[in-house]
Amino acid sequence: MTISPLKTAKADIPIPGEPPRFTPSTLIAAMNQTLEYAYEGALLVGEVASYKVNQGKWVFFDLKDEESSISCFMSIYQLRVPLEDGMKIVVRGVPKVTKWGKFSFTVSAIKPVGDGSIKKAFELLKKKLSDEGLFAPEKKRELPKDLTKLGVISSTGAAGYADFVKILNARWGGIHVQVAHTQVQGMDAPDQIIRALKYFNERSEVQVIAILRGGGSADDLSCFNDEELVRAIAASKIPVITGIGHEVDESLADLAADVRASTPSNAAEMLTPDREAVGYTVDMSVSRAESIIYNKIDAALERVDQPFDNIRRFIKQKIDFYHNMLFQKVKILEALNPEKVLRQGYAILSGKVSPGSVVNITTYDKEITAEVKEIHERKNVTN
Amino acid sequence: MSEKMSLTKKMEELDKKTGWFYSDDFKLEESAERYKDAMALANDIKKDLNELKNEIEVLSEDFSK
Repeated sequence: MTISPLKTAKADIPIPGEPPRFTPSTLIAAMNQTLEYAYEGALLVGEVASYKVNQGKWVFFDLKDEESSISCFMSIYQLRVPLEDGMKIVVRGVPKVTKWGKFSFTVSAIKPVGDGSIKKAFELLKKKLSDEGLFAPEKKRELPKDLTKLGVISSTGAAGYADFVKILNARWGGIHVQVAHTQVQGMDAPDQIIRALKYFNERSEVQVIAILRGGGSADDLSCFNDEELVRAIAASKIPVITGIGHEVDESLADLAADVRASTPSNAAEMLTPDREAVGYTVDMSVSRAESIIYNKIDAALERVDQPFDNIRRFIKQKIDFYHNMLFQKVKILEALNPEKVLRQGYAILSGKVSPGSVVNITTYDKEITAEVKEIHERKNVTN
Repeated sequence: MSEKMSLTKKMEELDKKTGWFYSDDFKLEESAERYKDAMALANDIKKDLNELKNEIEVLSEDFSK
C-alpha cells in the first residue's frame, strides 16, 4: 500500500501551538510512511516459529532471536524455499503497522542461512520437485555436438566465468557466445538468472545455455536452490548445462539441468572438443592411410615374389634329397671296403685249402704264406 | 560460424578421403596421389583449428530489473 505524504504527514486539524493530532488511521499511515522510508528492503535474520499457511494463500510466521520476536507475513507465491519451524532464515521486506495497530514485517523474499537450514530447505524442496518429476532422467537432453551459438548466464567479474572463457578459448573456436551478466549469489540472483533464461528462450538462437558460478560457501550457492529458478531451468526449451561451485557441491539447479558439469571449467570441457585432440585425430587418420599404402605395397611385392619362392624351395628340396641319397650310398660303400674289414682284425685266406697245401693269408699289414695241417668242420655255426 | 561449418565439412571430407584407403575401391596406383590430397586437407584443417576464435558478446540487457 502506497501512502501519500500529503495525506499522512499531517494531523487532521492542526491547531497552532499544540502538538499534532492524529486519528488512528493517520497515525498508522504516518508511521508506515516513516518505516517504509527508513527500512525499505531491510534484511531481518532470525529463527522461524509458528509457521502456518492460511487459505492456501497467506504465509504467517514469527521470526525470533533470544529476546524478541516479530510477526512476518507474505504471499505464498513469494515463498520460494520451504519453511519449517526452527529454520534460520534471512528475509527481505518492510516493517509495517496494520490497521489494527499490530506491528509486522511484510516479507518479499526469503533465504535460509546457516548450513543446517540450507540443507533442510534443500532436502524439502528436492523431495517436492522430485515428486513432481522435475529431475526425471528421461527429461534430460543431450548437448549439441556442433556448437556454434552458446548462451552464458554468469557474473562477468567472477573467477568462475573467467575460468570458463579461458578453457573455452583454449579448447575450441568459432562459437558466438552471448553472455547475460547477472548476480550469482544473494537474494536477487534467482530472479536475475530467471530473466536471463527467459531472454535466451524468447529472444535468442543459442543452442544451449550454460549457468556458471565458481566455488563458494553453502550460503553463497544457496540461490541455486530457489524454487522458481529450478522450475525455470526445468522448463527451458533450450538445453541447460550448469557449472556451479565444485565437484562436491550439488544444487537443485544442477538436478534440474539437462547436464551437470562439476565446475565452470568442466562445463567448457563438456561443451567443446579439444582442438589439440582433434588435430591429433587428423594426423592419425592420415598416418593410418600412409600405413595402408605401405602394407599394400608389401603385399603386392609378396605376391610377385611368391612363385619364385616356390621354385627356389622346390629346387632346394630336390638338392637335399639327392644329397641324402648320395650320403647313404657312400656309407654303404665304406662299410663294404675290404681294407676296413682287415683293420678290424680279420684276414683273407686264398689258395686251395687241404691238408698239406700252402695258402696265402692277408692281414691288415702282412702277407703270410702258410701250410695247412688239419681241417675240421666248425660246430655250432649260426647263420 | 561459417568458419566452424567449413571446418566441420572439411572434417567430413577428410573422413571420406581416408575412408577410401580402407575401401574395396583402393588402387595402389592411385594411392600416392590420394594420400597427398588427404595430407593437404589435414594440414588445412590443422591450420583452421589453430586460427579458430570465439566471439564473446556481453548482452547489454539489464537483468536486475
